[in-house]
Amino acid sequence: MEFFLQQCVNALQWGSFYALIALGYTLVYGVLRLINFAHGDVFMVGAYLAFFVSTGLLAPEGMFGFSREIVLILTIPLTMILTSMVGVTLERVAYRPLMRKGAHRLYVVITALMCGLILENGNLALLGASRRTLPTLLDKTVYNIGGIAVTNLKLLVVFTAVLVFFALYFIVTRTRMGMAMRAVSWDRFALPLMGIPLEQVVVFTFALGSSIAGLGGLLFAMSYPVLDPYMGAMTGWKAFIAAVVGGIGDVRGAFVGGFLLAFVEIMVAAFLPSTFRDLFAFSVLLFILWQRPTGIFGKPLTTKI
Amino acid sequence: MPLLKIFSLTQRFGGLQALSDFSFQMEEHELVGLIGPNGAGKTTVFNIVSGFYKPTEGSVVFDRKQINGLKPHQITALGMARTFQNIRLWNNLTVMDNLRLAGYAWLGYNFWSAILRTKRYWQAEKDIDNHAREILEIMELTDYAEEFPKNLPYGLQRRVELARALVSKPRLLLLDEPAAGLNSADVDDLIRHIRWIHDKFKLSIWMIEHQMKVVTALCQRLTVIDFGCIIATGTPEEIQNNPSVIKAYLGDETL
Amino acid sequence: MIRLQGYTINILMGIAAVTLVGLAHADMLDGYTLQIIMLIGINCVFATSLNLVNGYMGEFSCGHGGFMCVGAYVGSLLSVMFFGDSKLFGTALFPPDLAPFLFPLVLLGAMFAAALAGLIVALPSFKTRDDYLAIITIAANYIIISIIENIDAIGGPRGFSGMTKTVNAMRDFIDLPWMLIWTLIGVFVCVMVIRRLMTSTYGKGISAICQNEVAAEMMGVNTNRVKIMAFMVSSGLGGLSGALYAHVYGYVNAQTFGLLKSTEGLVMVYLGGMGSISGVLMAAIAFTLLVEVLRFVLPWLNTALHSINLLPSSYQVDQIWTWVFIPLMLILLMHRRPEGLLGNRELTDIFPSLKRWFTLK
Repeated sequence: MEFFLQQCVNALQWGSFYALIALGYTLVYGVLRLINFAHGDVFMVGAYLAFFVSTGLLAPEGMFGFSREIVLILTIPLTMILTSMVGVTLERVAYRPLMRKGAHRLYVVITALMCGLILENGNLALLGASRRTLPTLLDKTVYNIGGIAVTNLKLLVVFTAVLVFFALYFIVTRTRMGMAMRAVSWDRFALPLMGIPLEQVVVFTFALGSSIAGLGGLLFAMSYPVLDPYMGAMTGWKAFIAAVVGGIGDVRGAFVGGFLLAFVEIMVAAFLPSTFRDLFAFSVLLFILWQRPTGIFGKPLTTKI
Repeated sequence: MPLLKIFSLTQRFGGLQALSDFSFQMEEHELVGLIGPNGAGKTTVFNIVSGFYKPTEGSVVFDRKQINGLKPHQITALGMARTFQNIRLWNNLTVMDNLRLAGYAWLGYNFWSAILRTKRYWQAEKDIDNHAREILEIMELTDYAEEFPKNLPYGLQRRVELARALVSKPRLLLLDEPAAGLNSADVDDLIRHIRWIHDKFKLSIWMIEHQMKVVTALCQRLTVIDFGCIIATGTPEEIQNNPSVIKAYLGDETL
Repeated sequence: MIRLQGYTINILMGIAAVTLVGLAHADMLDGYTLQIIMLIGINCVFATSLNLVNGYMGEFSCGHGGFMCVGAYVGSLLSVMFFGDSKLFGTALFPPDLAPFLFPLVLLGAMFAAALAGLIVALPSFKTRDDYLAIITIAANYIIISIIENIDAIGGPRGFSGMTKTVNAMRDFIDLPWMLIWTLIGVFVCVMVIRRLMTSTYGKGISAICQNEVAAEMMGVNTNRVKIMAFMVSSGLGGLSGALYAHVYGYVNAQTFGLLKSTEGLVMVYLGGMGSISGVLMAAIAFTLLVEVLRFVLPWLNTALHSINLLPSSYQVDQIWTWVFIPLMLILLMHRRPEGLLGNRELTDIFPSLKRWFTLK
């Protein structure tokens, strides 16, 4: 029982990462109907940016003389801002010109896939194969709750994910920009008529999604400090699947899907040989999609004649 | 025995009752109209009859076979074809290919014949080609055989869609607002074409139409629905003077 | 003479193929060149088969590598079962002299198995389209690889080998470049099947689904059946490319056929233009050659840049740049020509005079 609960805690942490990435997929999809396949790699870039920012701030010469706590507090917003710039740049440079030319939707998806490849391989090519390690920014404290070990980092991760969820939910449902985002997904052509420029909404969406991915990257790097250029690819694919299972385009769906996927993965790895992890995780997801073809929160597809 | 018989159809979408207790029948070689204000449920009737929706209650009998529950392509194979309110042509296939494809239901060869190019394949392709060309000629579209529908003017696109429906060798043709968006010259052409195919192929035609000009010129009788219920039936003249129809279209205050 | 003109391209291709085989037979081509030529053939089969679903049908299948994987493993297993001695199947079922005659059976078996795997992907496609289908195919790709890696009897994560014996058995029978011949036959069969399918009214149902599925179903096209057919043909031919791959290299490993392989397929299809046989064939050739050319250019570039001191001596330009250049080129190409090299047109549409010699539509 304790073992099971311990695994649940791990699943919550792992699910937070999936959820943070899945949110970016869902936001962009909701607005542009575009699968932003580069998003997993934006997450990876976020982790690397966190590395550069934090090592820069912690420079041994004591240039800034910050304590680690202050570095952590500074790294969070800096990483988020820098990562959101990466996301917006992708949109500006790669997707927007193509969309404006009226290219087939799938070509934009392929472009996203290519951007992802460039990010991960470009990273490896430029930075070389030597692994980088994020400096420790948070001293580890282990709390023991009824025999279950919970580190302060895990709490931070899960807490952040929940916080992000509520913040996003607020933005999407209560703010003017959020309403514009939802309006685009209903009727892209009516939006400019309402006095909101479409491009502004798109840029905002990319910035929001990428900054969340950057935050996820930072937290991931804090939990698993060794960085790898391909860390975003696999996690990204899986987070995308989680977003779809939850019902892509829905903020709640991304969350539920992320935690669900993590739960299945951790439990399979805990009770079965770990080589079965992918097999079971994907089979479960396929089963859910088979039962609910548009995901858990997805609206049924209707065609009007 | 009527060609098409509909028993008390009811269709609900969530809480919305789109159609309630709709009954109707039509004989072979009739040309009848279905009219009603916007949102009255006309297209819903067509969607159920052609198999796109499964009705919540009720049944549809076509040529002595119960067809509700069949898939649309099976219903097409039984001899029913339709056109759409907003044109649904295959825009990247030529007009000729659009027409040929409508013969899919009676193609009569399979994957292996297509790959191995058997005698049956050549025969079937020849039959379908001849038939499509014949229809093309009747509909005065021969000049546009190799054009892509997206490059044709709207009126011609409507005509291609009508021609495509004919290629499937229907006994009953459902026309969903065939005159929508046409100019007056096109409408005259349309009336001429519908009358001509109605006689030539001994077709039964059931059409949804708003333009009184088309309806009075073509239809032998009309059914009027409003809020999913039948409110009147009769000849075009009777309908034009029916007070409840006028009320449905113009509201209470007018008279 | 006029009748003959329509076959000119076939005759030319035939002559080219025979010349190629002749050159290989006479040892005029070194092993490396030969391998590249066979890889081009395999990629042609892989890309054109993916094009059937992604180009002609307009669905978005991201997991074509999975079907290649099924084909590669089933082909290898059959091959080892027929002509090899292994712990798994015991002694060879057939004498080695039969190898050239029974090899088509190996390929057919691989195609059949991959087509069955395609059926599993086709079923959910009834209810969902593009993005959801993308997920299903990605998941299917993962699942296929995961299943194979978990079966220890066929090597699991270590991979599987032993197919060289079959190739050698064919060579012992008659000394010919057998795998080159089979690859050429594979390409020919693949192109012919897709061409014949897409020029028949039966196959044009696939285009109808792509452009307006509702109209297709309403006009009598059994859309579910057509989708099953298209997916099965596509995955079956994908399996053919896998079986050829397995025999050309003599070794298979499930990880080879991961999402990166599927992505390669997507690159070729979208490079060539969705729904164009000649475009995708050109793209497959260009893509394969590009990867090989970069293999030489990059070290050369490295030395050149170092010799003029443009790069710090601690930094080396290595092969990983291949996978930066190729996506970059594709992106730039898409910005110039958002519909791929040929769009959904064939060479004959762009140069109508070619129609005298061959037609692909």
